[in-house]
Amino acid sequence: MDQHDSTFGVQLFICDLSRGMARQLSPIMLGKQLDGIWHTSIVVYGEEFFYGGAGISSCPPGGTMLGPPDTVVELGNTEVTEEIFLDYLSSLGETTYSGDKYRLFEHNCNTFTNEVAQFLTGNKIPSYITDLPSEVLSTPFGQVLRPILDSIHIAPPGRNVISCQNNHG
Amino acid sequence: MAENSGTDPAVETNTEENAAASATIIKVTVKTPKDKEEIAIAEDSSVAQFKEEISKRFKANQDQLVLIFAGKILKDGDTLGQHGIKDGLTVHLVIKTAQKTSGGGSSQTSASSGPGPSQGNTDGSANSSPAGNLGTPQGSGPSPTPTQPPNMLAGFGDLSGLANLGMGSANFMELQQQMQRQLMSNPEMLSQIMENPLVQSMMSNPDLMRQMIVANPQMQQLMERNPEISHMLNNPELMRQTMELARNPAMMQEMMRNQDRALSNLESIPGGYNALRRMYTDIQEPMFSAAREQFGNNPFSPSRTENREPLPNPWGPPDTAATTTSGTATTTSSTTSSTTPSVSNPLGISSSSLGNGMFNSPGMQSLMQQISENPQLMQNMLSAPYMRTMMQSLAQNPDIASQVARPSFPKMLQMFAGGNASTPTPEVRFQQQLEQLSAMGFINREANLQALIATGGDINAAIERLLGSQPS
Repeated sequence: MDQHDSTFGVQLFICDLSRGMARQLSPIMLGKQLDGIWHTSIVVYGEEFFYGGAGISSCPPGGTMLGPPDTVVELGNTEVTEEIFLDYLSSLGETTYSGDKYRLFEHNCNTFTNEVAQFLTGNKIPSYITDLPSEVLSTPFGQVLRPILDSIHIAPPGRNVISCQNNHG
Repeated sequence: MAENSGTDPAVETNTEENAAASATIIKVTVKTPKDKEEIAIAEDSSVAQFKEEISKRFKANQDQLVLIFAGKILKDGDTLGQHGIKDGLTVHLVIKTAQKTSGGGSSQTSASSGPGPSQGNTDGSANSSPAGNLGTPQGSGPSPTPTQPPNMLAGFGDLSGLANLGMGSANFMELQQQMQRQLMSNPEMLSQIMENPLVQSMMSNPDLMRQMIVANPQMQQLMERNPEISHMLNNPELMRQTMELARNPAMMQEMMRNQDRALSNLESIPGGYNALRRMYTDIQEPMFSAAREQFGNNPFSPSRTENREPLPNPWGPPDTAATTTSGTATTTSSTTSSTTPSVSNPLGISSSSLGNGMFNSPGMQSLMQQISENPQLMQNMLSAPYMRTMMQSLAQNPDIASQVARPSFPKMLQMFAGGNASTPTPEVRFQQQLEQLSAMGFINREANLQALIATGGDINAAIERLLGSQPS
């Protein structure tokens, strides 16, 4: 076994942006039951990484303004070192995951976490999270709200991963 | 060398690349953050050979390549088969940037837009301060946006309004009182609210206003007792005029002053005083009381007309004496919270009372109860980034917002009227009305129920509604 690289645990933090309101109001407003508006982030190397209107950012786990997660999913282990990972993130941040590419429905925090999860462990994130935008959009209310929601950029504060590259040795 | 691809597996002419015996070519997708390519390689190649192919394709040095599959880093000495890499699978590639500074430097420019104007992505707040406060820079994240008069936003889905109740108080009623206090103590706030295009567009829609007012059950009772009031509400011209007034506080004050002066002149005419008094007791006072009961003290209660037994206030605000006959007619102090109804502004509409009316619907109330049980929820909710930016974009696109509000508004009313946990279901509540409707010949119970919910139990309006939807 080639275990001379230590493996790192990878977790998925899931938070409900609506703080429970979606669970209560969604049957009425949307006509279907949505248990939450899920925001996810990847936690690895003792840091939480997420994507938002500010690009890819990081912070101590549970340190975003959403606080500690509602659910934690173990995605597995990875051999990828932090250095490689940060390189990877910075390339992502330059291209497909820059801040201005953020789209609430199609290209959001969950898209990012899904991709990173696959990179790190080969596993995807649970489908109920990635299915959420299409669930919402398939309702008439979702369609109505779409123009507004499209302009929303969720940008929780955090350290911008790209700029922190300079600080790493 | 290409001829032998499928015909003769035994004969090997592609020995340059593939070391082992049966060279089944598989197509593996190699994905970088920027790019992805499909690379054909023999199934049993080693990782080193794979990297060689990759370095050619991606034009990078083999040493810079880091291959990752299923969370494992592929080492040169391994084979693809060892890691289970098969046809059609994806392998991740990171091209290490040799020098940290250059690699980091080049990525700065594109990403540097990140930390700075992150909220600038949503076009910074060009709006007046209520919206402006929402777009606080990310640094002040957790702290709730201070003193936001949430009332005018209440019409747009109380979710957004809720987010502004940033007082950290658990009891909703307290919250409301705080709001009022602040509103009263800071008259500029009111004008700020008014200036907000969101509010203006909302107010210029008489239908919306009417629905909001009608949604208030006290108002409904009032309307039943005094049909003139419902006439007034149904008169769009009058509504619009009233809205205009409410929108423009300066104009309103002026008009009120004029009206009061005219009224006092009226007083001097013989018999005029009685006319005034009649006018007051019949129209203004009940309405005024209804509006006032939301806020608690009713200093004008002395002359209760006979059809005015004290309205039960189901939301039990902490007002101690709803019937204090203190006689201190504090008209001046109450102008901001509940505009004294005058002839020109017959409904006593002011911006704050509108919002409060919405808040006090029973559906909202149960929601509030649940939230007040968990005060942290409130705190969390308003600090949710989602809310803030939502408000910002709402504030910047008043057109869209009003468009959105219009179609969904009846639905929201329905929801609040029919969907709350603490009061019985609409079917039960409207039991009597439903029976009446079916006795009248409206056999479609579903439609009846819908109509009743939409009109809040008002049979006449429900009938109109039902008739309107049946062209025959």
